[in-house]
Amino acid sequence: MTAVLHQLEVPMRSKQSAIIHRPARGRRGLACWMVLPSRVAADAVPLIAVHGIQRGAYEKATLLRRRAEALGRPVIAPLFDQETWPHYQQLVRKGRADLALLALLEELRIEGVLQGPKFDLFGHSGGAQFAHRFAMLYPHLVRRLIVGAAGWYTFPDSAAFPLGLAARPEQRDDWGPRMAAGLERFLRLPIRVYVGEFDNQRDDNTRSGPEIDQQQGIDRLTRAKRWSRAVEEAAKARGFTPNVSLQVLPGCAHHFSDCVAHSALPHLVLPDNGDTDLSQTATLKA
Amino acid sequence: MNTYRSQFTASLDGAKWAFSTRRVRRSDVVGISDRVEEARSGDLVLGRVEKIGSHKRLQLTSGRGSELYPEDLVVVACGDRYAPDQFEGIARIDRRSADLLASGGVLGQMRQKNGKMAMPTSIVPVGLLTDATGRVVNLSSYAETAAQPSDRPAVIGLVGASMNSGKTTAAAALTNGLRRAGHRVGVVKITGTAAFGDFNAYVDAGAHYVSDFVDAGMVSTYRQSISEIESALDLLLGQAGQANCDVVVVEFADGILQSETAALLRSDHVREQVPNFVFAVPDALSAIGGTTVLAEIGIEPLALTGVLSLSPLASAEAEAATGLPIWTRDALCDPAKANALLAGATSTAPLCEVAA
Repeated sequence: MTAVLHQLEVPMRSKQSAIIHRPARGRRGLACWMVLPSRVAADAVPLIAVHGIQRGAYEKATLLRRRAEALGRPVIAPLFDQETWPHYQQLVRKGRADLALLALLEELRIEGVLQGPKFDLFGHSGGAQFAHRFAMLYPHLVRRLIVGAAGWYTFPDSAAFPLGLAARPEQRDDWGPRMAAGLERFLRLPIRVYVGEFDNQRDDNTRSGPEIDQQQGIDRLTRAKRWSRAVEEAAKARGFTPNVSLQVLPGCAHHFSDCVAHSALPHLVLPDNGDTDLSQTATLKA
Repeated sequence: MNTYRSQFTASLDGAKWAFSTRRVRRSDVVGISDRVEEARSGDLVLGRVEKIGSHKRLQLTSGRGSELYPEDLVVVACGDRYAPDQFEGIARIDRRSADLLASGGVLGQMRQKNGKMAMPTSIVPVGLLTDATGRVVNLSSYAETAAQPSDRPAVIGLVGASMNSGKTTAAAALTNGLRRAGHRVGVVKITGTAAFGDFNAYVDAGAHYVSDFVDAGMVSTYRQSISEIESALDLLLGQAGQANCDVVVVEFADGILQSETAALLRSDHVREQVPNFVFAVPDALSAIGGTTVLAEIGIEPLALTGVLSLSPLASAEAEAATGLPIWTRDALCDPAKANALLAGATSTAPLCEVAA
């Protein structure tokens, strides 16, 4: 690990961890911020924390730093730049954000920053859109999924992609059916959904229209509730015990920093007990 | 019987050891027998190149092709070969001259050839190589040992309508896509003739584990018993599991009408081990005929691929006629798409209706 650190830009280092910016490798490479604890637990599962459309990767790293230090778990916050990945939330559009993340993770494993194939995947707002869709395409890579305050979702139903998993009309070769192929494995994942209590106002960034409003509701709070329920029902319909929970953060609105300031959100994202079992999921309080 | 042992191994240093002999521990070879007529499949043969024919290179154990010259000494394995585009030959050695049936190092007697092929390279057998007990060294002594992996990997089979229908390209592309999707991928070529082309293609594609029937002790699967090939499949899948692969692509050589491949596809044991198949075809008509043949034995492929997929028009014809999706090489190389193909192989649950 030491050899690796010397080659990287290290803007902030403490006794407990270093926050490191890793520049993109190549024109289509993905940059990231990394929290690398000084002591990494032997069984540490890294957390991939995906930013919203404000592209606050550094904010994710800094606000999760203390928990990463306490648990000895690396945090990787990729930075999807606007020019290369303008619609990274939808994963498979221009620039293929999914492939960029896969390539970054492979490089980090080669460099010794990451161990093992699996990680916890967390996203807030636009990052939550990315996170749940990534987990639908690659459920075998995700140990635990944390979906925070997404503007809208891909539902595990027969609506046309990207609202659901059916192919769009006139699209012989569509992404919805590909996500549907891995749905059983996705539905077995521990999925933690959260949204702010006051995140119930439609804003300029809320995608709206008759179809999506009817399927998902008109605001993030309603949409989080409906998506969580849909995932739960889809799991039950297949005979699985759902492992999905929804937490409404008391006193919180939409912004990540706001949610961190007014709740124990970092403990939901990086819990003490790993929280892969629903019975261990703690309820967050302000 | 004439067997010579003294100072023998040193004289083999200058010989070209074919890829088919890659598992042999050379120090085991201490003698030579001139009873070449008794050679059976898998026996090691020391030969001298007599006349260069269609195979102008010999694939070496190092993984590169070596230009052949008259009088070269070669170490190859006696074996059968079935290749509609090249030769059909059997594991029989004539004292006067034998045929190089495959550049991977398979020596036998040609029975028939494709009209486009020149005559095979002829090799004069010097003798069969023997070990310290005087027994002829045979590839079967160097098979992998059985493994008992804790987890059983997912398995996708790759079959084709014919030789050169695009199986290897498809299997390599799928391997690459699955690897990039984060899987540990194994590739097993379960039937065919020893050669490094496919083996190297899978290594190049990023497979974490690659093996073929040579690793199960066979130089070729043509004219081998089905139960022996079934055992080889078990052995190599076990090895792939031992190598911590979570998915294994199994390639069956030649076409689905080839005798061993046809029998294996009808085998309950094989179907249990390889529950899903991707079907490589050269054209739309092969797609229709091939899927009909497969349907008769209860196989509905996950998808069609191969040379067909290069042509949008042929693909449209095949898709309309069979209802099966057509996967191009690029699609198979895409991690998300390859992963969906794998997931689709194990999941058929319908979607729920749109939520209210």
